[in-house]
Amino acid sequence: MNKLPTSSATGWLNKVPELALSFWVIKILSTTVGETGADFLAVNAGLGQGLTRTVMAALLASALFLQLCTRRYTPWTYWLTVVLVSVVGTQITDLLTDGLGVSLYLSTAAFAVTLAAIFYVWYRIEHTLSVHDIVTRSRELFYWAAILCTFALGTAAGDLATEALGLGFSWGVLAFGALIGITYAGWRMGANAVLSFWIAYILTRPFGAALGDLLTQAKTYGGLGMGAMWTSALFLAVIVMLVAVAQVGKNVHRSAPFAE
Amino acid sequence: MNNQHTIVRPIAALSATLLLALAAACSKPADQSHAGAAPSTPGQTVLAPQGKAASKLGDLSAFRSIASDVAIIVDKGDLPAAKARIKDLEIAWDSAEAGLKPRGADDWHVLDKAIDKSLAALRADTPSQADSKAAMAALLKTFDTLEGKS
Repeated sequence: MNKLPTSSATGWLNKVPELALSFWVIKILSTTVGETGADFLAVNAGLGQGLTRTVMAALLASALFLQLCTRRYTPWTYWLTVVLVSVVGTQITDLLTDGLGVSLYLSTAAFAVTLAAIFYVWYRIEHTLSVHDIVTRSRELFYWAAILCTFALGTAAGDLATEALGLGFSWGVLAFGALIGITYAGWRMGANAVLSFWIAYILTRPFGAALGDLLTQAKTYGGLGMGAMWTSALFLAVIVMLVAVAQVGKNVHRSAPFAE
Repeated sequence: MNNQHTIVRPIAALSATLLLALAAACSKPADQSHAGAAPSTPGQTVLAPQGKAASKLGDLSAFRSIASDVAIIVDKGDLPAAKARIKDLEIAWDSAEAGLKPRGADDWHVLDKAIDKSLAALRADTPSQADSKAAMAALLKTFDTLEGKS
């Protein structure tokens, strides 16, 4: 159902997309594309992890700046920011784990606590956590801080499942897919929409990674053997198509939000 | 307004269905353990320093053969060529992470660390033959230990 955009002092319209199926498809696929891109720079292009981190952080800062400067939801800016947040969120966890030797149990717990703290402060200040009303600068900053944290948490929790449970990507797709299904069912049966959204947002990170691995990994390991390049090209093509459709739609109907 | 629905929805649904179909088609929980974890013979196991059985990681020969190439090049004293060749190991190892790590995360980390040390030795600002040689020897030994051969 349609919600009227809440106007505010800034005169912004809601700056984030409505939650249609295409939202989740792009979100899931962008995880793999972001990770492959960062790996390519670090290993194949030989930049190394340190320089790649710096480059990605700079790109994220630029994309976020662009996104903050827009006055309404602009698909390509929004999704570019999501892809880069996904990369940087993953790199934060990897840096803690591989670089600083922090245990995954500790980092998973720490990111969960940080995320809860972000929500707590967000709610205290704004009195809502709704993603349908991202209409002020401070709400948007809370939104992106929470998203960065969900990607770091999703990475840590997914890696923990691999390390502690030996959960490979085939089982990962099933397990995280089932958890997403349960979250969806819960939401349909009346569970809190905001909570369901953020749980799904966390779960789609390891689900997206497992799905990407399933296509990427060699057949010997139980994957489809498509390789990282082709998988990313396929995913990127789907993302570009969906974002282009959204962008064209936006340009044609400036303010026609369509919700579920 | 309706345009958006008619265009976006089918495309989104189509791509999602495609992905789900792909996922379903290959989510047979095969491969979790057919990792040729052939237990080594008792005699070999006793010979292994830690007395460990063969690694759960399975067949590592493809990686080991690149490593032994690198070691041979290091022995010849051509460190730049060794540095170039070890990148193949880095790329192969990195891209197989998602397949190998779930089989035995502990073993994976042991080998990952040994590979990192070799990379660091050969990529030092002024790589030394002695350091590189020691790192490669340690790496090959790690492979052998994991495969229960040494």
